[in-house]
Amino acid sequence: MKSLLLIMVGAVFVNNFVLARFLGLCPFLGVSKKVETALGMGMAVTFVMVVASACTWLLQYLVLTPFNLDYLQTIAFILVIATLVQMVEMIVRKSSPVLYQSLGIFLPLITTNCAVLGLAVLNIQRNYSFVQSLVFAFGAALGFTLAMVLYAGLRERLTLCPVPRIFRGTPIELITAGLLALAFMGFAGLVPN
Amino acid sequence: MIQPSFPGGTHPPGHKTATADARSEICPLPAELVIPLAQHVGAPALPCVTAGQWVARGQLVGRANGFVSVPVHASTSGLVTAVEPRPHPCGADLPAVVLQPDGADTWADEYQKQSFHVLSVEAMLERIREAGVVGMGGAAFPTHVKLDPPQGKVIDTVIVNAVECEPWLTADRRVLLEQTEKVLTGLEILQEISGADHAYIGLEDNQPDVARLLAPHCQKRGIGLAVLPTKYPQGAERQLIYAVTGRRVPARGLPMDVGVLVQNVGTIAALTDAVTRGRPLIERMVTISGPAVVRPQNLRVRIGTPVAHLLEHCGVTEEPAMVILGGPMMGSAQHTPAVPVVRGTSGVLAFRRQDLPTTTAGPCVRCGRCVNACPMNLQPTFIADFARRDELELAERFAARNCIECGSCSFICPANIPLVQSIRYAKGAILARRRRI
Amino acid sequence: MMAAVICLGSLGFVAALLLGMAARRFAVTVDPRQVALMDILAGANCGACGFPGCDAYARALVAGTAKPDLCRPGGAETLKRIATILGVAVTERPPQIAVVRCQGDLQHARLKYAYQGLQDCRAAQKLARGPKLCPAGCLGLGSCVQHCPFDALAIDSRGLAMVNRSRCTGCGLCVTICPRQVLALAPANETIHVLCNNRESSARVKSYCNAGCLGCRLCVRTAPESFVMDSFLAKVRYGYGEPSTMAEAIARCPHHCILNLDEQGNNQTLPTPHSVRERSTP
Repeated sequence: MKSLLLIMVGAVFVNNFVLARFLGLCPFLGVSKKVETALGMGMAVTFVMVVASACTWLLQYLVLTPFNLDYLQTIAFILVIATLVQMVEMIVRKSSPVLYQSLGIFLPLITTNCAVLGLAVLNIQRNYSFVQSLVFAFGAALGFTLAMVLYAGLRERLTLCPVPRIFRGTPIELITAGLLALAFMGFAGLVPN
Repeated sequence: MIQPSFPGGTHPPGHKTATADARSEICPLPAELVIPLAQHVGAPALPCVTAGQWVARGQLVGRANGFVSVPVHASTSGLVTAVEPRPHPCGADLPAVVLQPDGADTWADEYQKQSFHVLSVEAMLERIREAGVVGMGGAAFPTHVKLDPPQGKVIDTVIVNAVECEPWLTADRRVLLEQTEKVLTGLEILQEISGADHAYIGLEDNQPDVARLLAPHCQKRGIGLAVLPTKYPQGAERQLIYAVTGRRVPARGLPMDVGVLVQNVGTIAALTDAVTRGRPLIERMVTISGPAVVRPQNLRVRIGTPVAHLLEHCGVTEEPAMVILGGPMMGSAQHTPAVPVVRGTSGVLAFRRQDLPTTTAGPCVRCGRCVNACPMNLQPTFIADFARRDELELAERFAARNCIECGSCSFICPANIPLVQSIRYAKGAILARRRRI
Repeated sequence: MMAAVICLGSLGFVAALLLGMAARRFAVTVDPRQVALMDILAGANCGACGFPGCDAYARALVAGTAKPDLCRPGGAETLKRIATILGVAVTERPPQIAVVRCQGDLQHARLKYAYQGLQDCRAAQKLARGPKLCPAGCLGLGSCVQHCPFDALAIDSRGLAMVNRSRCTGCGLCVTICPRQVLALAPANETIHVLCNNRESSARVKSYCNAGCLGCRLCVRTAPESFVMDSFLAKVRYGYGEPSTMAEAIARCPHHCILNLDEQGNNQTLPTPHSVRERSTP
């Protein structure tokens, strides 16, 4: 139980996917103009990450390892994740148009997201059990959402600020992201890797 | 008893001593009176005189146009020289009756003083409407509308607004001191019309002499005297109601929703004249003050007297750089001294160039003083920022429409940001958009 | 080697099968016309049609709840293509363009007061109805510039709004933004306009401005078929009249407020200066 908690805290704060591992930077910078969309993206990522880590874990230990095909890991995982996201998009679109309106537009963005792939690979590298890998996925997604929402909040505030002209737009946003990452460095060492 | 106070508020310097203790004088008639037909909230009055016609003092010159509208009367006897657009305190040129006084100042009819007890409520309301009584604190909302609440609204409390929280102004104070009996009678009339059991007079504690004067009267008549800690904007309806009764007027509601009726001192005096003597509202107390004025004083001014005449009468040290009608917090600066005193004009303030602020607006320093000062619990700095970026949805979500435009935020802002102007703009834009959709 | 091929092949096959089944099972039908319309519409999301964005307008078009001639940025070409897709007949409307009907810069127009405050015409208008004495003149604080989705407006060196005629699509957003209705839409091929917006009498206009229309009717008398009076304001009857008599009317206008924008090439045809653009973006 304690190890699960450690995995969770480690994934959310200490080794935050975005701010410490620098995975999934494209949605982090792209979909963070408003808190609402950032939250929607975070929820979509949470869902995909948990499901994808379950599927890839099963694929690894039921197919790849027994047949000594570990070297196919990357390509096989990409295939599985992409298929999964596409299918989820179709199902959501049909079954719940409302959910699709709020969540669906983000799904194609996740298809080949490095954060999702990175998570699947890390699960295997660290020899996590099935349950551990699910907890790790959930924690990582939570950390991703946290970073997204924080950054989106900052960006909303930023638009109100009188920024010096040469810093306006992307430059100040990147500086803000860097400062946020620096702040998260304060968690370093809290949990052993 | 410790009075509850409304949240927020500021303490602008009072500047009241120059005019507070001198008896008011009657302002001599000017060479020309400009009586605007729109002196109230609602539809402007329709002119019913033509150029070249002689009118008596108190004669109707503009008929009310609808329920939310009041008639306009000649302030003195004389010749109507024109009915044309003239500068109006709102900044535009609006239709006005121009009157050349003949000096005789003859009344249209001789009125007999009459006790209000013999009149029915309808008759009293009719007299108030015909006399053109409007809220004289500044808003100029027709009083008969306020006194005639829709079915189902019960008024149980009447509050006399004698707070006069705007700096410089002492007109209400002078009315209360010099026409005490009239105000107390008016309060009885108000109770009679509204059926309210409770009556209060709301005062600020910077006028202990008025409180001392009123205390025996109040005791005798069972009127509550609420002496409130001095704070701006105590005179705003919602704030006063909360300070006196502890009731909160809902954000989009009216005082009648919590069973309260608030009337300004000047309005009540005018209302008494209307009911007991049938006299129309053609004169009001105006504070003429400010650093550029030689003899600051309170004057009883005929409606329609040009501001230039008042300044000439009181003397100015130099050509004033800014003339404000109303108080410095909520009044409006005028672009020409040709504008007349209207029914809602409580003061004329003249400032020299060195009195005006020279600093320009800087960036927000996030001190949060405006948030602390806002009596409506808003976040002015955010609403202003949203207004500047035309984020009207966000401004609305931050309750921009609840703003009472008291100006506390702009006053307190160390960066001189025109906060209240931005919020006013947002309010207008939100309403305009709502009307479009 | 063989194992890898079989493994990936079967994985891919399973994935394809699943996706194929899902595509059939969970198919959502979107009207193909809506997709086609989205490609045609201007895509500026300017809102001139009255719908929140091009997508919503396309949906309303397919549903039959909107008229097909509302996309003003797209102009006649878009209208024609919308009509083809929807299979309806429409009458063409000539393309329009915004005109700033004011020449009252600080050299000509008098100020009511010195304005300090929010740099926004609509906010300034609320303060004693604007800092310019003329109630219909351009305030030059650039509300229209900030809202133009096509970057076709700017405040020129005289402090007046000006239209970049090559960029303006005639969407009319500025017309609704302007608190004083200084901007108006006029046929795009017309170059002669009365650049004044004040309907008041000559005495009043003279007291405001040296460049306003006095209502003297000289133009109407010179070229009766080309000009009409609207109260004390002359207006061009677009599409009528001879160029020669119009040129005479232009020459006779005492306040020079009728202009041929082609000849006065410097007026309302300049490219947008960069400085104004920067102020408008946050």
